[in-house]
Amino acid sequence: MSDLIILCATGDVKEETPISVSPENFPMLAVYEYDGEYFVTDNLCTHGMAVLTDGYQDGSDIECPFHGGAFCIKTGEATAAPCVTPIKTYPVSLVNGNICIPAAAS
Amino acid sequence: MSYKITTNHGVGFDCAEGDTLLRAALRAGIHFPYECNSGGCGSCKIEVMSGSVTNLWDGAPGLSTRDVLKGRQLACQCVPTTDCDIKVRLKSADSQEIAPVRSIARLYKIERITDDMAKFCFKTEADAKFKAGQFALLDLPGIEGSRGYSMSNLANDAHEWHFIIKNIPNGKASTLLFDHASVGDKVILDGPYGLAYLKPNITRDIVCVAGGSGLSPEMAILKAAVEETGLDHRKIYLFYGGRTPDDICTPDLLSADNDLFERIISFNAVSDADIAKKELWTGDVGFVHELLEKKLANTLTEHEFYICGPPPMTDALTRMLAMEYKVPLEQIHYDRFY
Repeated sequence: MSDLIILCATGDVKEETPISVSPENFPMLAVYEYDGEYFVTDNLCTHGMAVLTDGYQDGSDIECPFHGGAFCIKTGEATAAPCVTPIKTYPVSLVNGNICIPAAAS
Repeated sequence: MSYKITTNHGVGFDCAEGDTLLRAALRAGIHFPYECNSGGCGSCKIEVMSGSVTNLWDGAPGLSTRDVLKGRQLACQCVPTTDCDIKVRLKSADSQEIAPVRSIARLYKIERITDDMAKFCFKTEADAKFKAGQFALLDLPGIEGSRGYSMSNLANDAHEWHFIIKNIPNGKASTLLFDHASVGDKVILDGPYGLAYLKPNITRDIVCVAGGSGLSPEMAILKAAVEETGLDHRKIYLFYGGRTPDDICTPDLLSADNDLFERIISFNAVSDADIAKKELWTGDVGFVHELLEKKLANTLTEHEFYICGPPPMTDALTRMLAMEYKVPLEQIHYDRFY
């Protein structure tokens, strides 16, 4: 099993209020809660330079703040134009109330 | 006549009849989110919970079908017709902004810079108070809607606002300015707006990157940076991109100002390789972000970036900086006009 890094505590993230974290050796990441589960994706939109956590979480979608494009926070799939390229997602583990992802970006 | 606007945070402000929600909020010193103030970027989305507004631009590109379905509107395009309660996500106030003011402006000088660029100089009744790199919205006679242009000069006591503007083929506003405007003409000038201004307290080396009339705010930032004693030991770069050698006006502009000439490290690139060859251009050929990478690749993360230019340039450049070179987004300053 690979090493994990802690991104934040589960209490730091609430549904519809995703947060941005910047761990070392990773791009800027977005952490979400949806339906009691936690998800992590890259935080830069694949369409233009935009920070997704500045946008709106709508159920299991995160909407870019600028052009209304959206991604599924579970799979990274682009769900609304103009976004086409999926966004990278990370497998989440919960350890002692902390949201963690593998230390080595795969 | 004015309307009372109340946000979901309980913040209230007055909106004068005919003014947009966004402009009125900024005049009242409230930190509404925004970038372009022209319907393009979509940063200033709000929901009107009660009351009514007129939308100046149905189908503005800043609003997606999804936004419309969710009842979101652009604060920069909404003119209230009653008192309103609105939902907005206010920004944290990280600096003191200058409240924008509407004023009559008189055109007093036009200076040609290249075949398709010129500097238009206006004098307003109101003070010329703005930060280096900000823009104003101009209402030109007979042209529907406002146009954003960035000031190329610094705040001054002479009420002067200078704009380097490019003549866009078939552009209604620029055609009016280039073909029909003459000294003495009056326009409505509303400003300042914009967040991509020089942050004088950040003492990293400075890189200004511009394409086309994006040079206007960068000239102001260069001037302000040169005058800032806290930046005395910092390097200040200007990277300018044009399509043809005729577009490269920066050597002349810099040499016309001794302080800039002595201090600014200037690089230029021409993107049209065929014309460059035909006109015996001996400088760099390619896009300006490629030139920046060639010159500063190893130290990019150590710089503060100020960027203004056409959307493809800004997009290629910001992507390269943020994604390939991991330059923190806080070090990249630009107003998104798209």
